[in-house]
Amino acid sequence: MLFPCPFCGPRDETEFHYVGEPKPRPEPAGTVGEADWADYLYVNANPRGPAREIWLHLACMDMFVMTRDTATNAVLGAETPGRAS
Amino acid sequence: MRETNWTPARPARGILAARPGFAARSVAGLGQTLVSGDLDAALAALAPGAPLIGLYGLAPDGAYALRVARDRALLVTPAPIGPADGWRQGWCATAVDDGWAAVDVEGDGAGLVLMQGTSADLAAGSPSAAVLFAGQRVLLARRPNGFRLHVEAPRLEALLKWLDGA
Ligand SMILES: [Zn+2]
Repeated sequence: MLFPCPFCGPRDETEFHYVGEPKPRPEPAGTVGEADWADYLYVNANPRGPAREIWLHLACMDMFVMTRDTATNAVLGAETPGRAS
Repeated sequence: MRETNWTPARPARGILAARPGFAARSVAGLGQTLVSGDLDAALAALAPGAPLIGLYGLAPDGAYALRVARDRALLVTPAPIGPADGWRQGWCATAVDDGWAAVDVEGDGAGLVLMQGTSADLAAGSPSAAVLFAGQRVLLARRPNGFRLHVEAPRLEALLKWLDGA
């Protein structure tokens, strides 16, 4: 299975590491309660179907968002946050 | 196996691994410099004319740079260049002459070793020369009689162990 690194192009999936779901960190940290921190750290949407996921390409260390169908494993797109890819 | 029992590393010189069809030889004496930031400016200052090459690009006998990421590369020179460490005019250099090892794998069977070591589509090319080879992160270049791997020195022994069994 090939994953698309926004910089390197298609590379074998073994070169990639799953990082997590893209979601905003609750701020400011000093005012965030335990329940909200736990939600942020451990509660994921984990949708069936198209999902946005953060992945790291271990070769070039590019961190990017890949949209992937979790039911079929089909890759639907990849983009680097803050950079047109 | 206890994880604290590390295989003693063989000295990185001469023939490092030899099997029917190929031999892996240490490329000694190279200068190796990690550069970050404005790669064009860094290469112009440190090694004018050195090509910036991507995955499985041809490494010439003279200086060349293997691109790692958008803003990082490993500059390889025939001998250490002793760059001043640190940032200047948008780029940064770090000498890693013996922090990285270079290995040439040559022989009729070198192509087969390459196919076993990596699943990357080498014919398609890629801007970054970094790739997983035998499970290790390496920089991969083509050579007239085989291929060259640049790898962080602590990872060399694991790579050679794999080559021993290839
Ligand atoms: Zn990449």
